[in-house]
Amino acid sequence: MAFQILLNFLLAFLWMIFESSFSINTFLIGYLLGLLILLIMRRFFNSRFYLWRVIAIVKLLLIFIKELFLSNLAVLKLVLRPKLNIRPGIFALQTKLESGWEITLLANLITLTPGTLVVKLSDDNQTLYIHAIDIQEVEDAIEGIKNSFEKAILEVSR
Amino acid sequence: MKTNDLILQTATKTVVFIILLFALHIFFAGHYYPGGGFVGGLLTSGAIVLLLLAFDVKTVKKSLPINYRLMIAVGLLFAIGTAVGSFLFNVPLLTHAFGYFTLPLLGKTSLHTAVLFDIGVYLCVVGATMTIIETIGVSE
Repeated sequence: MAFQILLNFLLAFLWMIFESSFSINTFLIGYLLGLLILLIMRRFFNSRFYLWRVIAIVKLLLIFIKELFLSNLAVLKLVLRPKLNIRPGIFALQTKLESGWEITLLANLITLTPGTLVVKLSDDNQTLYIHAIDIQEVEDAIEGIKNSFEKAILEVSR
Repeated sequence: MKTNDLILQTATKTVVFIILLFALHIFFAGHYYPGGGFVGGLLTSGAIVLLLLAFDVKTVKKSLPINYRLMIAVGLLFAIGTAVGSFLFNVPLLTHAFGYFTLPLLGKTSLHTAVLFDIGVYLCVVGATMTIIETIGVSE
């Protein structure tokens, strides 16, 4: 991915040299043309065409914003409830993710979802211990959310 | 009990660069806006302290092999150097000169010898802070 972005920048600079005008607009035109060339030549790289990955990152960002809104609404409902009938608890979650930044991203996203908080990461980086604010009703819904997050992160890193 | 610091370390690797860049911005903004050598130096040592918290003292010492006591000396030399420079032109001690120059990339910039003094302050602050923290951290 990094190599493709570097190549795209190099093509944009070459375009500026060919046009012999060094302005932002020329650079942008060169960048778009370089993107087109990379799209045509994408079979020659050993990783995916990097625009798909950029789209996946944008998708992850949108999921994150949506979850932030939902989590704050859920906490607001809990706070305004006259009777507090919740059952807090801690459960374990197995992850398929491996590299450090993926696990960090997943942990932070889980912490920002409604009613869950990452407490601890196991020593082999495979199990997250999560504190849930209401363990009886949320457990299944949470598993769904986690799967969607894990899928989105795998989309970015694959 | 040893805890798994993976999340803290990954976040640190990203955040340290932002703190260092902000420290440089504060340092260079010091002439016309709030900021300057002292705050910039404190922010820089704050970034190094974050590294010390996330990793071991040994790892940070290996990746940043800086002698902080020498840094204090160099900073003081910068400050004294600006003072000595005023003798050469027959003006009172610590008189600063400035002028406007057209530089490539930056355009019309005012260069001021007070920046050299500020670099001295910056190096002194980073050196002193890090010397204190390392001395306390290493002694068991």
